[in-house]
Amino acid sequence: MPNIEIGYQPAHSLAKVTLQANESIVAESGAMVGMSTNVQMQTQSQGGLMGGLKRMFGGESFFRNTFTAQNGPGEVLLAQALCGDMAVLPLTPQGYYIQSSAYVASTPDVAIETKTGGFKGFFSGAGVFILQATSQQQGQVVVGAFGGLEELTCDGNLVIDTGHLVAWDASLQYSIGKSGAGWIASWLSGEGLVCHFTGQGRIWIQSRNPSEYGQSVGSQLPPRKG
Amino acid sequence: MQPQAAQPSPGQPAAGGVQHQITHGPSFAMLRVDLQPGQTLVAEAGSMVARHQHVGMEVKMNAGRGAGLWAMIKAFFIAVIRKLVGGETFFVNHFTAPQPGSVWVAPTMSGQVSHRRLNGETLTLSSGAYVASVGDVDMKMKFGGLKSLLAKEGAFFLQVGGHGDLWFNSYGGIEAIDVNGPYIVDNGHLVGFEGDLRFDIKSAGGGVMGFMASGEGLVCEFNGQGRVYIQSRNPATLVDWLTRIMPG
Repeated sequence: MPNIEIGYQPAHSLAKVTLQANESIVAESGAMVGMSTNVQMQTQSQGGLMGGLKRMFGGESFFRNTFTAQNGPGEVLLAQALCGDMAVLPLTPQGYYIQSSAYVASTPDVAIETKTGGFKGFFSGAGVFILQATSQQQGQVVVGAFGGLEELTCDGNLVIDTGHLVAWDASLQYSIGKSGAGWIASWLSGEGLVCHFTGQGRIWIQSRNPSEYGQSVGSQLPPRKG
Repeated sequence: MQPQAAQPSPGQPAAGGVQHQITHGPSFAMLRVDLQPGQTLVAEAGSMVARHQHVGMEVKMNAGRGAGLWAMIKAFFIAVIRKLVGGETFFVNHFTAPQPGSVWVAPTMSGQVSHRRLNGETLTLSSGAYVASVGDVDMKMKFGGLKSLLAKEGAFFLQVGGHGDLWFNSYGGIEAIDVNGPYIVDNGHLVGFEGDLRFDIKSAGGGVMGFMASGEGLVCEFNGQGRVYIQSRNPATLVDWLTRIMPG
């Protein structure tokens, strides 16, 4: 399994993936910062055309890139777009659910599937499509946060703002819904949609909300022309 | 259920105050408040990151404690103006825990969250600097005067006083400056102030030319004795920078 180290934490984290000969890492399109010359990059739409389209609806890119070290070891550096922390999650038997924009990379034996989620996914706002990471063997997933990354332990139940979600143990039950008693109260409260978790497990959250930040700064910019 | 289970590390019991912890500072600070039955956390609308399910949330208009009809109407009109000129919303959320429970809150921009224990003092905060409070804390909206309308950030101030815990945020790092005599702070870098301070909003270079050419915009000139809190970044500068590089 490739060795993955995270540097420059927490504000500008960078993942350094050390590959042995013929080892590979799969990364989100655009995440590559640098790589050894003997590393070959292959672009593919995992799961075929439908898999790619599903990912596009999930707010991710159509393609993912696979980096393979050839004729000896090599390294790949990976980064996310926004400032913030990253973490390497070793795969557990139950796997993880990952908020789609938090996905950075995974080892090739990890299956990453977009949960269409139907109604729930559609109305949960930008970037809150959910990926399911599972593996029959050992594996690793790299997730990235906007801001600080915090691991919370859910022992019973927790309510998390969907814009602050990064990943959680698939052992947890979740449902996306309004934050307050009624829809009007939820809207006035400014909390929008939240994720209700029940059960036992870990939840990783990010200390900043990307879409809230984008709206705050973006609303003050002049309108785009054309 | 065990609310403590969600705590990554033991919180700091503030002397006489509510138990809380600020993590991920100074760049991406997040606040966790551990509520006991009977305590209420008031937080800026939209700032909640997470809470225990049994912690109740109720949205209220931020008109101040025991506000009469007139104060409510005034708060509503200020709110409408603030909506138009941009800035934070005029709603706050009240969090209460029938049994011990935690609430996590975070500001929108990158930066620090600072805690201030209030023992009867009054702080004046810039629009957008308020994060949350617990206890007998009263808030009043103040209009910064017509001149302050020229500088978006300086149009409204929040006067926070009473007894309790107050948390406020800064864009970037926060610095407390003890002022004795005159002191000048760029409007966009002002977080708040306390003590016996008067202030005037004026142009940095003096006159219209100074305002236009210096690039410093409007400044606050303080006089007296007290403490001024400044932030190391200015949101309006970020917006200007992005505006310039955006495709025409």
